[in-house]
Amino acid sequence: MTAREFASRMLKLDRRIIFMLMGVVTLIPLLYPLGLPVRVSPEAYQVYETLEKLPERSVLLLSLDFDPASKPELYPMTVSLLRHAFQRNLRVVTMTLWPAGTSMAESVVSRLAQEAGKEDGTDYVFLGYGPGEANAIIGMGQSLSAAFPTDYAGRATAELPVLEGVRSLRDIDYAISLSAGFPGLETWYVYGKEKYGFELGGGCTAVSAPKFYPLLQTGQINGLLAGLRGAAEYETLLHQAGKATAGMDAQSAMHFLIIGLIVVCNVFYVLSGQHRGRPQINP
Amino acid sequence: MNLETVLGAWVATGLSLFIYSFLYKDNPFFKLGEHIFVGASVGYLLVITYHEVMLKKLYLPLIEQHEWRLAIPLVLGLLLLARLLPRLAWTSRITFAFILGVSSGVAIPRQLSSFILQQIQGTLKPLVTISPAGTINFGLAELNTVLILIGVVSVLVYFFFSIEHTGNVRRCARVGIYFLMISFGAAFGYTVMARMSLLIGRFDELVLYATPEYGYATVVLLVAIVVGLIWWERQTV
Repeated sequence: MTAREFASRMLKLDRRIIFMLMGVVTLIPLLYPLGLPVRVSPEAYQVYETLEKLPERSVLLLSLDFDPASKPELYPMTVSLLRHAFQRNLRVVTMTLWPAGTSMAESVVSRLAQEAGKEDGTDYVFLGYGPGEANAIIGMGQSLSAAFPTDYAGRATAELPVLEGVRSLRDIDYAISLSAGFPGLETWYVYGKEKYGFELGGGCTAVSAPKFYPLLQTGQINGLLAGLRGAAEYETLLHQAGKATAGMDAQSAMHFLIIGLIVVCNVFYVLSGQHRGRPQINP
Repeated sequence: MNLETVLGAWVATGLSLFIYSFLYKDNPFFKLGEHIFVGASVGYLLVITYHEVMLKKLYLPLIEQHEWRLAIPLVLGLLLLARLLPRLAWTSRITFAFILGVSSGVAIPRQLSSFILQQIQGTLKPLVTISPAGTINFGLAELNTVLILIGVVSVLVYFFFSIEHTGNVRRCARVGIYFLMISFGAAFGYTVMARMSLLIGRFDELVLYATPEYGYATVVLLVAIVVGLIWWERQTV
């Protein structure tokens, strides 16, 4: 078999072999972690530093704008941010703009609050699902108790100690949207921060990260956790290795495999002569 | 470990493996998983919307707290359903007009400000800084500013079709193409990273559910699906 024939055959490799290879490369680091170092980016550090600088009992609004489909990337961020906020003794107001994420959001908030010994209604609250996308944010900017007359548990928000002095978004000290798409971080910026002037940071899935970097560069958002890497960076900052840090080994291994496959495929492509318009060999 | 957690783990594992079986080829397990996903998602969304919106934000405030102003959105919402009645279908236009008018009024100024004006402001930064002593500084931040400016201008030139792309315009547009290619590459890289993260997330849970606490759910169901696929292949041959 000539090199050209071999290259042509390789270019027609059954894609299921590549799927299997990817599965194995993902699985091995999950079973046997390599412990590769995670470098913290300035945009992740900004989110951490903003939370660190907030005085105790400041109000943090955490909008969990995702559903279970984006759980692998955004759930570890939620865990780290909630742990940090509870450690800093902030008042944590949580909600979601995604109806399909409501139960998941409620369960993670109450689990971590319980873990930190925080009291529902005094130290934190889950407002539930805010319908209407941008309208929910505009409504909260005008009156929080009008947009959410009751929280997820059905208690009147106007009477909750955690919301004492919080009449609208103008009274929020820092807001973070963990966003899997629309509505999400972009919506919070356009209809929230721009109009009501609170500080805004965010977390997003890796696929949507490129569109948020221009907002970061202009200072329209003050920090960004991008994808699983962003979550791992936050875990590193908190010195609490979790799901994201564990996943980064697999992520790195997978990236090496994909780079390798791209290089090898290009070599085979050149060897097969297809770049010169030669007809393919059908072995 | 309680029964509902273990049962949930078995259902999650089974459905994940059903969907992954598509990597082999389209098959009845995948179709079953797909249909369950669609049905469960729609059912769940209906319940959440009913409970969180219809009940908590409309019915209870309107009936129990007598907030009569909520009757306006209620009527507007009902008018949308009038499309189902041919003789009254025209009334739905009132609601559509309201939605379009309010949405445009709210969105256009905000979008212009956020994505045009603020972004232009971010592009037009000083290319060099001069210290109080009069020395000119050009560091990495300034280099970034220069790159952003060149990128924005060259890409805009590339998309400017009113003049022929020859000479300097062609060269400038060519630079724009390189910037676009780099941005496409970055976007694709991030997309790959995102998809891999999802795979890692699922695998992480599948590894967890392969433990004795969950009754070796992953192993048992994987074997069952493989056996099922072999049986299905033999039936279809």
